[in-house]
Amino acid sequence: MKKFLTVLSILGLLYILPLVAGTTFDQGVIPEGDNGSGLLRGLAHFWEYTGFANATIGNLLMIAIGLFFIYLAIKFHYEPLLLIPIGTGILLGNIPFQEGIGVGIYESGSVLNYLYFGVTQGIYPPLIFLGIGAMTDFSSLISNPRLMLLGAAAQIGIFATFVGAIALGFEIHEAGAISIIGGADGPTAIFASAKLAPQLIGSIAIAAYSYMALVPVIQPPIMRLMITKKERLIRMKPPRAVSKLEKILFPIIALLLTTFISPTAMPLLGMLFFGNILKESGVTDRLAETARTKMIDIVTILLGVTVGASTQANVFLTSGSIKIFMLGAASFIVATAGGLLFAKIMNLFLSKNNKINPLIGAAGVSAVPDSARVVQMEGIKSDSSNHLLMHAMAPNVSGVIGSAVAAGIMMSFLS
Amino acid sequence: MNNSPTNLAVEWSEIWTITGVGYSVVFFALVLLVFLFQSLPKVLNLGVRKRIREVRDRMGPKEVEVQEEEKYLSGEISAAIALSISLYLKEQHDEESGIITIKRVARTYSPWSSKIYGINNNM
Repeated sequence: MKKFLTVLSILGLLYILPLVAGTTFDQGVIPEGDNGSGLLRGLAHFWEYTGFANATIGNLLMIAIGLFFIYLAIKFHYEPLLLIPIGTGILLGNIPFQEGIGVGIYESGSVLNYLYFGVTQGIYPPLIFLGIGAMTDFSSLISNPRLMLLGAAAQIGIFATFVGAIALGFEIHEAGAISIIGGADGPTAIFASAKLAPQLIGSIAIAAYSYMALVPVIQPPIMRLMITKKERLIRMKPPRAVSKLEKILFPIIALLLTTFISPTAMPLLGMLFFGNILKESGVTDRLAETARTKMIDIVTILLGVTVGASTQANVFLTSGSIKIFMLGAASFIVATAGGLLFAKIMNLFLSKNNKINPLIGAAGVSAVPDSARVVQMEGIKSDSSNHLLMHAMAPNVSGVIGSAVAAGIMMSFLS
Repeated sequence: MNNSPTNLAVEWSEIWTITGVGYSVVFFALVLLVFLFQSLPKVLNLGVRKRIREVRDRMGPKEVEVQEEEKYLSGEISAAIALSISLYLKEQHDEESGIITIKRVARTYSPWSSKIYGINNNM
């Protein structure tokens, strides 16, 4: 009875309001109509503002994709920390609304637009790199520096995608931005596309993060195809213990060297190594702790949601996005194959006792730490006591450095 | 997107240059890091080596060899040491007397909890 009365009074108010407000209200808010009462016109006006009236097939399709991302994250645990914010962002970005009410991500002054500023201006990716630096242990890389070459080899994915994108008809700056998907590094891809082709950020980020989440699905078949059973059984020497001084010197030297070579990658590499200095110096534990926990979490939330929301159907659903997705898949395959092939080539020149397990070449794509985990899983399938995780982390983190350097080079060529 | 055939034809030489130079620079940067970090331990150990050489000159080569071997600790040895320390620390227990007899609990009389002073007891 109470509910009935509430509904009745609301309806009554809706009916009375136009009468009370008179002509001014009628002209200002309620659209003109030839027939029908104020109530009906009010309801019609309200209906026009709802998502139901403004929904397009594109919106519904994107909402389905967003729900699929959330499903993948919950059901299969594919990069849940990324797919949940991105999936929810896709839902937010594709809630249909009437243009001009100041809620859309592309509408100047809206809340989402303010948050998206961090993406378009390339603010979030360096902050993510700061957190990554503060949580990365480079000791496996320092103990066996030659494994860094695998991280370089896998960057073939970036340059092959660049050629592929040009062949598919993309403009050179767009091709440069798309190519970074091949680095399998979300923040780097977003940073490069913010500088080179801001109109493609949504598609590039979604492609990069989707394929990063699908690393456990994409990489194993290529690994099985290219690496023989005998090679998969190769046991590597345990990494040597690394001194504290070496750990402190690594980020400082790498920061200076890589940013001198590619200054355009300075925001990314600078923050990555700064984060690592915080971690390894041993005197800034509080800062390192904040960078690798709360700060990276906050930025991941903002980045994920805004990147997801940027996939508004009218902007995102284009033939270009489909091509970007195709190129993204190809680039991941090429990058993985490049790393594996280079590991096999390296083995030709290494002594019998120093051979490397070529599976770790797949970790050269910088999807940290997923690709290293995939290497570990594939390794123990062949020999349950052969743990490759620590070895795979070396090409994995060098892949991060390599892809940032490659992005910097791309930007310096094309900016 | 640029689909003009003229533009595509003009751009290809540039594309290959960017691809070739870009990939080479990535390799160069990382090769430089490899080189640096392969030589870094040698540079850091220069002082140690110098001292070893001095000791060798004084004591003879055989004894110094042993000292050099002791310096290297493989990952497995480190793990074993860490495990044993962890187990030792976890299993540390305070000393107990070993006497397991039950002590009789002696309760001193208190009228505050006595039933005879309850409100239902009429004296």
